[in-house]
Amino acid sequence: MTDITDRPAPHTKVALQTEHKRTLTELERYKILVENVQDYAIFFMDPEGYIQTWNKGAEKNKGYTHKEIIGKHFSIFYSDQDNADKKPERELEIAKKVGRVEDEDWRYRKDGSKFWANVVITALYDEDQNLQGFAKVTRNLTERKVNEDSLRSANSLLQEQQKELQRLNESKDEFISLASHQLRTPATAIKQLLGLILEGFEGDVPQNIRRLLEKTYESNERQIGIVNGLLKVAQIDSGKVILRKRSYDVNDVVHSLVKQYSGIIEEKSQTISVEIHDEPLFGYIDEQYYRMALENLLDNASKYTENGGTITITSKAVDDTVVVGITDTGVGISPENIHSLFMKFNRIPNDLSHKVAGSGLGLYWVDKVIDLHQGKITVDSKLHEGTTFSVCVPKGM
Amino acid sequence: MRKILLVEDEPILRETYGIILSTQPYETDYAENGKDALELCKNKQYDLILLDVMMPVMGGVEFIKSLDNLDEMKSKIIVMSNLSSGKEVEEAAQLGIQKHLLKSDISPSQLISEIRYYLEA
Repeated sequence: MTDITDRPAPHTKVALQTEHKRTLTELERYKILVENVQDYAIFFMDPEGYIQTWNKGAEKNKGYTHKEIIGKHFSIFYSDQDNADKKPERELEIAKKVGRVEDEDWRYRKDGSKFWANVVITALYDEDQNLQGFAKVTRNLTERKVNEDSLRSANSLLQEQQKELQRLNESKDEFISLASHQLRTPATAIKQLLGLILEGFEGDVPQNIRRLLEKTYESNERQIGIVNGLLKVAQIDSGKVILRKRSYDVNDVVHSLVKQYSGIIEEKSQTISVEIHDEPLFGYIDEQYYRMALENLLDNASKYTENGGTITITSKAVDDTVVVGITDTGVGISPENIHSLFMKFNRIPNDLSHKVAGSGLGLYWVDKVIDLHQGKITVDSKLHEGTTFSVCVPKGM
Repeated sequence: MRKILLVEDEPILRETYGIILSTQPYETDYAENGKDALELCKNKQYDLILLDVMMPVMGGVEFIKSLDNLDEMKSKIIVMSNLSSGKEVEEAAQLGIQKHLLKSDISPSQLISEIRYYLEA
């Protein structure tokens, strides 16, 4: 006899079968998913931390087979120090309290090798809030860790190298400064001793010997000039130049410079034309350094202009600045050389450079000094026609 | 006879300035640093001191400060430096010296005329 009541109606049976099949598929899907994930170690632990399940990712990352690890305590993955510190137990406690705990640290494989792990332990509760165990998901981030570490060590190496370069640069500045000081003493002594002879302290000097001594004196003066240039550059490069800026009449600086240079200019039959207004024009400057910078430019203008040429000095207020222009009718600078004009030790060959003594330090220094004034120098030049240097500094009160 | 003290640590410059000064009718003493100069100043009143700035043992600035406590007559001081600017030079200038000369700028006759000017002033 067949109990037909247990037999479902045809339509019900189909419905049940479909539902049954769907449920299985979903579980299977989860099972397959978890078991086959290779990049994550995912496993279930009981409330005490004993391992209950094991996926492929866990086997791959930690080196234990399913058979070897089931029933073992998860503290097996931790270092001896972590175990001595009861870190595994503490992590479970935290997960129990707040639901999850995350950690990044070294973990150990079966073979004793370590890997950098990102670990998330999640506490699993049933509907009645009874702790059923923990899910542990571990990711191997060794590659990222290694990259980060090597980036960090490359970075600190770079920082060290930068410091070393800075040290080397400072000791270079110091060396130049020391060497220049040392060179200046004998050059100064030569100047004084030659001066004694040339100024007649030891009696008359025959003309032929005087001529040679004057050449010697000239050459020594050049040497002193170079050494002074080096010292000035070393001083400004090492940041030891501190300007004492105040509101000062730049026209006053120009007038006194022109007065100082009138002799030299006359000697070369050059003309100096000063095109500035009578009223004062205040710049925010360190008068001493500003004067030295303009002096350098005026000196260049005269040196690099043939005898009989003209030098024009102008001054004007432009917006919040005052601009002093020094224009010559000299050798000029070709466009391709303009950019290297302010470089250290750079001398640009021109029609007069074989006659003019220079160290290639002057304009470098001038540029730095005007820079310290928060100012700017611009150059406008045409080869064989002349050059204008415009020095722009913030205006004073 | 006017008394001059030359304070300079570089032997070659001491000797050279010595030759320049020997052409004039002055009594000249020499010291190679501020400390030695201070000792000399305890026993003799100098009319003029030619003073270098950067020297070992005791530099020019410290010497002027120490001399201030010692010297009631106030010797005149000409500072002779290598640098036209810098911390020491500016400090010395603020201590009430007569003149600041740049060693590599002046000639023997210029030095002598500066000395004469301050001795007669």
